[in-house]
Amino acid sequence: MNLQHLSIASVPIQSWGPIYDGALALKKGTIFQDLDMPFFAANDTETTNRCCEPSNASDPKQQEREAMMLQIYQVSFEADDLRLYLDTHPQDAQALELLKNRLMQRRQLLKNFAQQFYPLTMDCMANCEQMQDKTGCYCWQEGPMPWEGACV
Amino acid sequence: MWTYEKRLQFPVKITKTCPKTAQLIISQYGGPDGELSASLRYLSQRYTMPVKAVGGLLTDIGTEELAHMEIICAMVYQLTRNLTIEEAQAAGFDAYYIDHTCGLWPQAAAGVPFTALEFQSKGDAIADLTENLAAEQKARTVYDNLLRMIPDPEVREPLKFLRTREIVHFQRFGEALEKTKEKLNEKNYYFYNPEFDKQMIHKE
Repeated sequence: MNLQHLSIASVPIQSWGPIYDGALALKKGTIFQDLDMPFFAANDTETTNRCCEPSNASDPKQQEREAMMLQIYQVSFEADDLRLYLDTHPQDAQALELLKNRLMQRRQLLKNFAQQFYPLTMDCMANCEQMQDKTGCYCWQEGPMPWEGACV
Repeated sequence: MWTYEKRLQFPVKITKTCPKTAQLIISQYGGPDGELSASLRYLSQRYTMPVKAVGGLLTDIGTEELAHMEIICAMVYQLTRNLTIEEAQAAGFDAYYIDHTCGLWPQAAAGVPFTALEFQSKGDAIADLTENLAAEQKARTVYDNLLRMIPDPEVREPLKFLRTREIVHFQRFGEALEKTKEKLNEKNYYFYNPEFDKQMIHKE
């Protein structure tokens, strides 16, 4: 916008800038370093940040599940944030390339997770070997409900 | 059309029961600046947006707000799932308990029920996008206030995540407003309503 207009809100258009890696982006709530504007009363020490780390589960299967789920969280969140950026910056080739990369990773991770554990989406049910778990139930009901806080 | 993905957008694992905290953060479920209100605001406004990309952005942010509502609900649920009557009474959670036991119900921290009066869909792109900018700021303030009061790091981490999302969404709505302005009469943005006086909008 060239002219200064009275009586209407103006927000500068964001330019592409430095980004966080997937793990830090999820913890911060954005992939964009320029949009990370923390609150002074939320300046917690790093040692308290256990939320985005796998638990100390002793079962190796559970460990593996948590590690893979965490990767899904991170890659999916990067894609979420990039998609909103592209909604208002459709010509940004750099963002588009990064989004494409994360979506490919996500597709592979969701497929692996369905094969080894349980499907996270309806489409992932096609990746479950027999669509049935050990008890003969169909696989969509497998795994904890997301609000139980059991997986990551 | 929507599809469900069986995970939260941000992990929530709260191990300590705290009905007091539940009663505060439930405001971001059904309160005036809560995630349900945000989602319905954007998903209602999108149909009549004059700029297609802005309708797309409202769909994407409105969808993300549904995921935020699920994060808040998961937090309230985990904070109250092992609740005892004594804890409910000591924390002032007894009134909520009488009406809902430990079930989830959209209300504000002070008990006011969720209502569509908390948001607008005005049928005017500038009015709606300006409302959305304010809505993101008000939600950020709620998260600021919650972060001042709640010490449990298991609760603070998701709150910090959600706070940052408000700032990101503000930026996107600002960019959406700039995109909308490009289609209007640049000498007078208020010369006509781009959602109603469609014949006057700039054609690309």
